[in-house]
Amino acid sequence: MIFEERQVEKNNFSSRAIFLFVLAGVSFLAVLFQVFALQVSSYTSYELAALNNKNYAVPIQPLRGEIFDRKGRPIVRNEPTFDLITQPDLIDQPELFLKLIKPVIYLSEIEEAQYLKKFKEKAFVNKELVLKKNLTAEEIARFNVRSFNFKDAFIDKRHRRISEYPHIFSHVLGYTSRSDNQYDLSMNIPRSHWADAELTYANGLIQGKTGLEETYNKHLIGTHGTRVYEINSRGRLVKTLESHPPEKGLDLHTHLDIEAQMSAAKALGDRKGAVVAIDLKSGGINVLYSAPNYSINKLSNGMSVEEFQDLIQDPDKPFFNRALQGRYPPASTIKPVIGMFGLTNKLINWREEIDDPGFFTLPENGRIYRGWKKGGHNDVNLKKALMVSSNTYFFKLAYQSDIKDLASYFSLFGFGNKVCRDCYDEDAAFVPSPEWKYKNFNVPWFTGDTVNIGVGQGYLVATPMQLVNYISIVANKGNLPLPSVVQIEEKNLELKENQQISLSNEDWTKMHDALTAVIESDFGTARSIRNLKNFQVAGKSGTAELVSLDSKEAYLEVRDTELLRDHSIIIAFGPMPNPQYAVSVVIENGESGGAVAGPVAIEVLKSLLNE
Amino acid sequence: MNKRLTKIYFDPYLFFSLFTLSVFGLFFLYSASNADIPIVLKQSVYIILGFVLMILVSQADPDLFRRTSLMFMILSLLLLGITFLFGPEINGAKRWVRIGSFSFQSSELLKLALPIFLANFLFDKRLPIQPREIVITLVIICISFFLVARQPDLGTAVIVALSGLFVLFLSGLSWSFIGGAFITLIICSPLIWNVLLEPFQQQRVATFFNPGSDPFGAGWNIIQSKIAIGSGGIFGKGFGEGSQTQLNFLPETKTDFIFSVIGEEFGFLGVMLLLSLYFFILTRCLYLALNARDRFCRLVIGGLTLTFAANLIINLCMVVGLLPVVGMPLPFISKGGSSLISLFFAFGIITSMGTHKKFLPQ
Repeated sequence: MIFEERQVEKNNFSSRAIFLFVLAGVSFLAVLFQVFALQVSSYTSYELAALNNKNYAVPIQPLRGEIFDRKGRPIVRNEPTFDLITQPDLIDQPELFLKLIKPVIYLSEIEEAQYLKKFKEKAFVNKELVLKKNLTAEEIARFNVRSFNFKDAFIDKRHRRISEYPHIFSHVLGYTSRSDNQYDLSMNIPRSHWADAELTYANGLIQGKTGLEETYNKHLIGTHGTRVYEINSRGRLVKTLESHPPEKGLDLHTHLDIEAQMSAAKALGDRKGAVVAIDLKSGGINVLYSAPNYSINKLSNGMSVEEFQDLIQDPDKPFFNRALQGRYPPASTIKPVIGMFGLTNKLINWREEIDDPGFFTLPENGRIYRGWKKGGHNDVNLKKALMVSSNTYFFKLAYQSDIKDLASYFSLFGFGNKVCRDCYDEDAAFVPSPEWKYKNFNVPWFTGDTVNIGVGQGYLVATPMQLVNYISIVANKGNLPLPSVVQIEEKNLELKENQQISLSNEDWTKMHDALTAVIESDFGTARSIRNLKNFQVAGKSGTAELVSLDSKEAYLEVRDTELLRDHSIIIAFGPMPNPQYAVSVVIENGESGGAVAGPVAIEVLKSLLNE
Repeated sequence: MNKRLTKIYFDPYLFFSLFTLSVFGLFFLYSASNADIPIVLKQSVYIILGFVLMILVSQADPDLFRRTSLMFMILSLLLLGITFLFGPEINGAKRWVRIGSFSFQSSELLKLALPIFLANFLFDKRLPIQPREIVITLVIICISFFLVARQPDLGTAVIVALSGLFVLFLSGLSWSFIGGAFITLIICSPLIWNVLLEPFQQQRVATFFNPGSDPFGAGWNIIQSKIAIGSGGIFGKGFGEGSQTQLNFLPETKTDFIFSVIGEEFGFLGVMLLLSLYFFILTRCLYLALNARDRFCRLVIGGLTLTFAANLIINLCMVVGLLPVVGMPLPFISKGGSSLISLFFAFGIITSMGTHKKFLPQ
């Protein structure tokens, strides 16, 4: 009985024990299954998660490409400076640190305050913080002797963007500046890590803001390197895992010519204006100068707020790139294209003469349009009209023209269009149309408007860049590669053949002769510059009126206000008869085109021709 | 008599598997503690002491435990009371009792005393167990549970309660009663949630069901543990090479989450090996229980083994994300003297109960 009961009890125990044992086994299997799911099925995602936990990649800033002139001389380069860099990770008391380092390195109060501010706002992995830029040799020596006292600081080479000609090239080259949102997201480095980028430039992560620096930023910037650190759960650096060095950006070889640019700057002096010159064979822009200007060295490497404010508030607008954005009435420089329009449309020919009494009377209402010379030029044909700049001839020709046809003819020469391949923020200026006038002034287009355009006054405006592009097309007899600042391989040159400019070679030659006569003949309007050189130059000068006045006396009154004085313009090419370069010069409020802008153009041409 | 005195009560399977486990455990602890030699040395001392204790305890006749079970139970409850009244408060919980320079978690003692006490109470009762005995047993279990739960130490309280319930179950509790109790438990669960659980415990349960809701707070542990285990892959990252462990992304590596360290550094193969070892120990204990000399021994072996298994499984499920985070060490591997000593004590008792055979009438 007892034995039997014991057996029942034992069986009962056994079944229950085995039941629980099986339950435990099932739990083990569940755990094993879950571990399998984590370690085998989802391995890759967890492996990535673990890597993301510990790996901290930071970009290494590359050196920017440098910019060279057409003779291979640097215009902008990377200049190393020595900076004092601290490691906030190792500094517990920044105030104490400053106190210790002050006898070694001179620090202004502002520098101290900035350092303490930045120290507090330190980034996640704040490996370094620049305390002082551009140390003197004496400071470097002092620090090196005492460096064993400063294990939390070191001197390292940082770069600056430096030009030997900071002012004259400011508009064409542009400047760089620190950019807080400059990430290369293709690099697979989280956005927040860019704050910890390893810097090559004293000014941080820099980016081209204007000029070539902006247009070619992608070429210049280079390829960022990476350094991958291992960090622990508190974000402290453990060690470097891997690093890939950065690659320097591509250098830019430009068509710019240092001497020609310098001669333009020198010839313009402290006058406001712009000079642009083009190599007719390649379309390369040799000179792109605007005055006044500013120092790109200062702007790229840190300028005080006051200096910057002064530049912005300067009434002469030094940031305004007159060469690419200045809108000027082309004045008499438009006359060659009006003449070519007349030839193309068979409105005139080279022989036909008209009488120039010194004014043109609009048949519709008898309104008088005056020439610049009282009494006129008597009998004028196209060549003489260009040479002596007869307004009457072109008033009459414009009067015979349809404004729409004329406008589209202008666009063949680049008016109203951006004409440069790689210029920064070029303005397309403006060619008027009847629709535009009606929309903006609510009055129809008058024939008188067209007549005014015949002498480059009125609504038509052009930039110095457009003027030189236009005269280059004339100089090249209709063909010109797209103008560009940066050298482009010959096979990539796009020759812009303007088939619609249906002028015979004879017409082109005669046009060149006429324009040469403007400067080289005894009666040419720009003959005053004839003796400044020993090669022949063709061109056309102009005087852009800012106020429309009927008499010379009235002008003499407004002349007292300098800003109302006429703009002086010249477009020229040479040496004739086989021109190599074309140039446009605009001098604001410079008055008489030939005499004022002319010498500047000659200086530039001489410089380009090495004379 | 002579013969009996010279006999050493020793189970080689249990002994060597525990030995292997403990030695592996030291290696794991070395890595989990970022090569902290003093911690590993201290743990080794506990392990050596544990083995000595285990061998000594296993020499005692099961009857000794049966006779002293009441005393043992009273002593445990007394220590628990002392802890509750005078124990030092660490992280808002009073779990430790200090005797001289030696301090230990008083609840560890109860994990042993309760199943032995209940086994002694139930082993001579006729089947099926009568309601009166069930009520007495449940009251004792509830008192023990609450005493530990109020420390507060929910994890250990659950283990203590389970250790009693296992004995009750093994001693032949009727299935209908179990079914009824289970349904009651489910009905009462909102009450348990609101009355028994502290807010931080509720938070842990909530986090378990949605760890992403608070990735840097309460969910951090679960997320980092899963990343550690998952990134270990099949072969692991290698000894001391686990980035989650070595760079401190994984919390509590030396105690609750040491299994994640093993998973990260030794991979799926390491985990399988470890689980096999544990499973072997459980199987051996089942064998000993089934072949024990009497009902008391069977109940004690069963109760203690299942307590060990529950402890183990809860820890495993917790670190792999199958259960909410509760403070529960991995037996024989996690750092901690009290836990180790109590485990070796338990296995000493198991060996004693499993190796002492009845003197059959000559």
